[in-house]
Amino acid sequence: MISFGIEFVPRDLYWKTTFYAIQAEKTGFNTLWVTDHFNNRNVYVSLAIVSAYTDKIRFGPGVTNPYMAHPIVTAQAVATLNEISPGRVVCGLGVGDRTTLEMVNMKPSKPLATIRESVKIIREISLGNNLEMEGKIFTVSGAKLNFKPNSRIPIFVGAQGPKMLALAAEIGDGVLINASHPHDIKNAMKHIEEGITRAHKSLVDLEIAAYTSFSIAKENKKAVKAVIPVVAYIIAGCPPPVLEKHGISLETADRIRNAIIRGKWKDAFILITDEMIETFSICGTPEKVVEKISKLINVGTTQVVAGSPIGPNIRKSINMIALEVFPHFKDKEDKDND
Amino acid sequence: MALEKIARKIPSSSWEATSEKLIDIVLNSPNANKMPSGLAKTILYYWQRDQLATEIGLQRLLEASMMIDPDKTTSILKELGFQELVTVLENQ
Repeated sequence: MISFGIEFVPRDLYWKTTFYAIQAEKTGFNTLWVTDHFNNRNVYVSLAIVSAYTDKIRFGPGVTNPYMAHPIVTAQAVATLNEISPGRVVCGLGVGDRTTLEMVNMKPSKPLATIRESVKIIREISLGNNLEMEGKIFTVSGAKLNFKPNSRIPIFVGAQGPKMLALAAEIGDGVLINASHPHDIKNAMKHIEEGITRAHKSLVDLEIAAYTSFSIAKENKKAVKAVIPVVAYIIAGCPPPVLEKHGISLETADRIRNAIIRGKWKDAFILITDEMIETFSICGTPEKVVEKISKLINVGTTQVVAGSPIGPNIRKSINMIALEVFPHFKDKEDKDND
Repeated sequence: MALEKIARKIPSSSWEATSEKLIDIVLNSPNANKMPSGLAKTILYYWQRDQLATEIGLQRLLEASMMIDPDKTTSILKELGFQELVTVLENQ
């Protein structure tokens, strides 16, 4: 079953994010993810107000990280949200954004052990259990919430590299794959299969979300213009193996990164090619977007997340997705179910 | 004239179109941070209940858009054929 998610960055005024969240719910999105960076508005405060103004849509941090916030605090936050909106909360967890972590001298060290232990802590504590554990990273001695949590909160693990993908599949309820290209999802599936085998799970037990950079507009060039800055940021922060895999030279990536650091946006954006946009985003007219989403679904994606920038005009782009993209997949699902 | 009375002069056949245009101003203006939080929450309340294209919803949207971008608001109202309302708003 295919579902659609949407990502909001609380860099915007709180009421704009909430306005778009209400719109996302009305138009049929299933899950709403709010990013967590210390320099934007707080993710849980943003989600609390989204929760108050919506009734059905699932929502959660997408993604938070255990370096900036101890997983026990994350467990407390999501359990509280789940009291406000029972059964609607999901928790996205990953190693975080290197650039913002570095600003506060945080190093995402031992990421696999950190994520494994964090998931254990968040799951046990948000279920209301008393947790005693001595891990490689975290030690918890008899911690328990003073209130009874509502229901089990699905945990999605953000992953890109092979080992993290396998771990995400092993311990998560879902995998958030930071990728927009079908080849990347196809490659990720190999590692995801390793993880589910390790956990004696089945692929149907797992949500496979393609967390994409997304831009839709009636005119292709407007969609492209909106997505270029996001693609530039993605390339600037991309690990060398990913760049090499897509034939992007490290020198070009360095030039983009340095231009961004110096605030020379135009110098960075001019280096972004059509191939880079194709690799790192779902971008274009509704027809083009439908074609790309179909390819993602064919290689195993079960949730397509429309991430930043969504489009040149967020409100119009959300409506466009609902009117011109969803029907292709909902119709298909209806036929498949007949 | 109070915004309530001004909004009342918009014919119901134009509520949807006016609401759409005013929402665009409110969401996309560089002055969006001028919106008072209380008014923002009222607008969200009406949006959640599908009431932004009603008389009461339009009152709040007009209040917000006049606060955020009065020039654009009057220009949109002119475009929609509400010259009389523009005159009233400009004389307030």
